[in-house]
Amino acid sequence: MPHFSDRLLPTALIPAIVVGVAAAAPIVVYATDYLTLAQAQKLMFPDASQFASQAPVLLTQAQATRVAGATGGSVNTSQWRVATAQASDGRVLGYVVADAVIGKFQLINYAVAFAPDGAIRDVEILSYREEHGGEVRTAAWRKQFAGKTGASPIRIDDDIRNISGATLSCTHLTDGIGRLARYVQAVLVGKS
Amino acid sequence: MRRDKLKTPIALVAAAIAASSFIVTPAAAAPPADTARKVDRLQDEINAMAQQLQEMKQQLLQMKQENQQLRGQQAETAKQTEQAVTQQKELQTQVTAATQTAQSAQSAATKPSPLDNVSLWGYGELYYTHPTNKQPDTRADLARAVFGIGYQFNDTTRFNSEYEIEHAVASADDVGESEVEQFYVDHRLNPSLSARAGLFLIPAGLLNENHEPTNFYGVTRNFVETLIIPSTWREGGVSLYGETENGLGWNAGLTTGLDLSKWDFNPETPLYTSALELQNNGAAPMQATHQEMALANAQKLSGYLALNYRGVPGLTVGGTVFGGGAVSATPYTGSQNAYLYEGHVRYQPGRWDLSALYARGGFTNTAQANAQFPGASNPLPASFYGWYAQAAYNFDVGGYRLAPFARYEKYDMGASYEGLAPGFSGTLTGTTPAGTFPSPRDTVYTLGANFYLNPNVVFKFDVQRFRTNIDFDRIDLGLGLAF
Repeated sequence: MPHFSDRLLPTALIPAIVVGVAAAAPIVVYATDYLTLAQAQKLMFPDASQFASQAPVLLTQAQATRVAGATGGSVNTSQWRVATAQASDGRVLGYVVADAVIGKFQLINYAVAFAPDGAIRDVEILSYREEHGGEVRTAAWRKQFAGKTGASPIRIDDDIRNISGATLSCTHLTDGIGRLARYVQAVLVGKS
Repeated sequence: MRRDKLKTPIALVAAAIAASSFIVTPAAAAPPADTARKVDRLQDEINAMAQQLQEMKQQLLQMKQENQQLRGQQAETAKQTEQAVTQQKELQTQVTAATQTAQSAQSAATKPSPLDNVSLWGYGELYYTHPTNKQPDTRADLARAVFGIGYQFNDTTRFNSEYEIEHAVASADDVGESEVEQFYVDHRLNPSLSARAGLFLIPAGLLNENHEPTNFYGVTRNFVETLIIPSTWREGGVSLYGETENGLGWNAGLTTGLDLSKWDFNPETPLYTSALELQNNGAAPMQATHQEMALANAQKLSGYLALNYRGVPGLTVGGTVFGGGAVSATPYTGSQNAYLYEGHVRYQPGRWDLSALYARGGFTNTAQANAQFPGASNPLPASFYGWYAQAAYNFDVGGYRLAPFARYEKYDMGASYEGLAPGFSGTLTGTTPAGTFPSPRDTVYTLGANFYLNPNVVFKFDVQRFRTNIDFDRIDLGLGLAF
């Protein structure tokens, strides 16, 4: 490696560069509300003419166990909002389930779009409140879930890759998406 | 249908009775000649009628029985309906109860409390380190206990702080230190711009901002991110940061800088004699001169820019440039600057965890500073650098995570010197009357494993071999936790 000399980069200039970069940088930082649920639904099912909200989800003990999956733990459906995406002729195009999980301290609101066969089409982050781990918004990371179903592992470091420095957000979001996928597969698929 | 049938025979019976009485009355008034015949005929008719009546009675009875049966069936149906209603009511009650439970859980979660906005967290690590060639230096240490307190003022503003005690006991007579590691306010200026002010971590390398023991392999932190990047490195100042949806994160800040007057040019005894002391004693160039906002000399400012690309799942590629004016080593030294730059990559494709990092730093105008201490045992280096490469693999062992790893690292705390007196090489090594002065550069091989009881608790083991300072070879055991 070349020696890093004063001539290469006068260190006193760095603060000036930093200020310049900060001022010139595109304004694209973490935020809270990226999308409303309605916007996300439309984004994920552009062909749908309406989204029929379903009744609050109540699971039997057996269903809850199944939905919890290998990660176990209790399943709290109170945050879930389930809607069926319908075409103008009434055909079911799929489902959108919105949920919230804790990142480290704050809630992350997200929505998952499912095809009628229970395969994940898309994941959207609706709100992000943590100061760290906002990288879960990265499109490439969210794309990893496409095509997975309730039968997939949907676990960090298994079939879903982690984001270094955002482990908690990645893990909790992945676990949440897995629960929704298992719910859709167990309860919604084949019943429409 | 059946009811209609019933009505018809009853009407018939009534008509028959009426008809028979009508017939009987004129018959009684007939002349006697025909009377016998008529009586006979009437008798026959009456008999026929009586038979008809009998038949009708029979039919009526049958009807009554059928009616009875129908009533029974009706009652049965009513009973069943009632049962269904009861069941439905029960279900409704259950649904209501479940909804109420869910709602009360939700309202319990939203019930206002002064503690709602407070968050608490912590981490810590304990070591047992056993130098294999110098067993008297075996140590057991509660290396650090750190607790954090945060407060969410509102949706856009948050306060975070961390308080640390190193080596268990901190007092005038003990080796420990008590310090404020972080203390800052974060504020979201608008949905796409955040700012921070206070005492915060410099986003350099892979470890500095993620220094909890569950986040790195090996009992102690690696040498490059201890001696070259002085983790846990924090400065006071302000910063702006964020990341784009295509995976580019950026962070830029203006902070306090280094104080080279803290440098000890002529230590009478070696600054460290074991690997553990090398990490703990703050002998490395930036470890010795960073200020941690303890009445920091803030006459001169520094700045940094950190970029990290995470656009490919599992991949992090990034780098940081830090630099600025430093407090001069002596009042007779001209203006001095300090800089550090590093590049890093981490790739986690499934169960593998591969990383590498290169870091280089330096101070300007060291010739003038060193000229004032001719023959110093510890002259101020003009540059220093280090790099490492590390591979770990995550196994699932009966539901537990076991991650064996190997790391190769090289560090040089005195890569170049300026202004030394003729005949001096810059670093005092070997045994002197004052003790054994170790070499400030080495190559270290580490083999070990992290065993995770759960994602928050880790047991660690490693073996380290030093190519130059062979007395530093050691076996380490550790326990780390973070929540």
